[in-house]
Amino acid sequence: MSGVILLKMEKAIVVNRLVKNFEITEKKPGLSGAVSSIFRPKKKTVRALKGISFTIQPGELVGFIGPNGAGKTTTLKILSGLLYPTSGFTQVLEYNPWDRKHEFLKQISLVMGQKNQLWWDLPAIETFKLTQAIYEIPQKEYEKNLSELVELLQVSKLLNVQVRGLSLGQRMRLELIAALLYKPKVLFLDEPTIGLDLVGQQKVRDFIYEYNKKTGATILLTSHNMNDLVDLARRVIVIDEGNLIFDGALEELVHRFAKEKIIKVYLSSEEDVNKMRTIGKIRKITFPLVTLVVPRTTVAVAAAEILQNFPVTDLTIEEIPVEEVIRKVFKGK
Amino acid sequence: MRKYLSVFNISFQQEFAYRLNFIMWRVRNVIQVLLVFFLWDSIFSNPERVVFGYDRAKILTYVFGILIVRAFVLSARAVDVAGEVANGDLSNYLIKPIDYFKYWFTRDISSKALNLVFAIVETVLLFLVLKPPFFLQTNPLYLLGFVISIALAIFIYFVLLFITSAIPFWMPEVAWGAQFIVIMIITEFLSGALFPIDILPQAIQNVLYLLPFPYLIFFPLQVYLGKLGAMELLKGLSISLFWAVLLWFLMKSVWGKGLKIYRAFGR
Repeated sequence: MSGVILLKMEKAIVVNRLVKNFEITEKKPGLSGAVSSIFRPKKKTVRALKGISFTIQPGELVGFIGPNGAGKTTTLKILSGLLYPTSGFTQVLEYNPWDRKHEFLKQISLVMGQKNQLWWDLPAIETFKLTQAIYEIPQKEYEKNLSELVELLQVSKLLNVQVRGLSLGQRMRLELIAALLYKPKVLFLDEPTIGLDLVGQQKVRDFIYEYNKKTGATILLTSHNMNDLVDLARRVIVIDEGNLIFDGALEELVHRFAKEKIIKVYLSSEEDVNKMRTIGKIRKITFPLVTLVVPRTTVAVAAAEILQNFPVTDLTIEEIPVEEVIRKVFKGK
Repeated sequence: MRKYLSVFNISFQQEFAYRLNFIMWRVRNVIQVLLVFFLWDSIFSNPERVVFGYDRAKILTYVFGILIVRAFVLSARAVDVAGEVANGDLSNYLIKPIDYFKYWFTRDISSKALNLVFAIVETVLLFLVLKPPFFLQTNPLYLLGFVISIALAIFIYFVLLFITSAIPFWMPEVAWGAQFIVIMIITEFLSGALFPIDILPQAIQNVLYLLPFPYLIFFPLQVYLGKLGAMELLKGLSISLFWAVLLWFLMKSVWGKGLKIYRAFGR
């Protein structure tokens, strides 16, 4: 049944020339500033999104990258109907998000790593029961979904513990359950691994991957954690200062923005490595390993030259890590 | 409907999670009643005395009535709404298929149900201790009028709270101040929660009766005490119904505008 709907629906998310401005009141520092801002408020318009466009197919898992304040969270909030767009067109599952129709809200979920919806003073299971009622999940389906999620996220022992007594990582996994109990078709994840330790991050990542595969849900995720994106997203959208600056495969991002490649050479004897400086920039020497950076266009020549002139036991050519590329993209402006 | 039943349920549990808070809130109510009680008790120390149309039995009934009506009308969970607008917790509800207004109304009713149970117990206890003369209304017409006026009062107070709760959409930093104005000044003074309004000068009364505030506490109690004729009763109910409708539309409009500039703070 849902498969038929998916086939009929061409795009899960359509965003066209989306603009969002915020009016903010500026305050001068100090008491006198506070007083004068009451009588003569100085308004300033912040242009959070300057006309971005993209579309996402059903079942896609897309990473959303950008520095703080780039407009990622604003976009997610508009797509889930929380913010009113200044102008432009948005459509999610063929609904206008701003209408916040209940049929629409039942099919989407927004998880914010720093916001919690679990009832702080009660065990998580109570929030889940409330979620069941609000989303009108039939009892059988509720039990099935819950036990599936509980098993996947390994939280069976935590269901009856007062939420305030849980660690951040435990809470985040329970938050995910509350967000997914009703099997949303579109999932917006805002920094889902923020503040988690490495094991916790991995658990959440594995879970998101599994969920996407199993249910065919469309997922849009923001993260500062590059591992999240490398692990999960085939496609990334990069925005900066409210503009979309890249939309495509992760590898393509690296090709486009990384003008250099990395050559790692293992030497059998300690030669005069300084001679390598004519071939490329030496980044690190930890004998027997020497790491060089060479322009993408001449990488084959450089490798050949090294193999001819040095006692090489092993040589690999690698892409610059995504994290570094992205850091460069945002610094390069 | 089941949605809101579940909200009622979890809200009830939540109240119990804050047992101490709740008990302190009740203690505050009892102390307030004692204060007002002894004040009026000393004024009416002579049982023959009638002031402003109140004799000892009626004024003391008024004071005890405040305890009950307060529990009904002024105990509102929705005082938290302004904070939710200011800090962005409102987002949690906006993304759910649930009506935010009905959600809070349900939480209010749940809180009121709990408060009412305690208020009745307290009233009985205080009654046994203080042994005040108490006026029991037996006329079913007045009792019906009392129930209707209480229902309207609950609704008006709730909508008033929602209107002031919308202020942080424009000024997120005044969340608490806005509630302070409504709760402390308006409801305590103008609603009749501290003194019966008909002891004020007639001119002030005339103005007050056109405002929604006396219909929160004073008017329902007047109805209970049987101090109003049929015409006055109808007039009062009409005015409070008028306010209920007007404030409802005002709230709808304010929230509609507020949500458009809502920033969904908190990240």
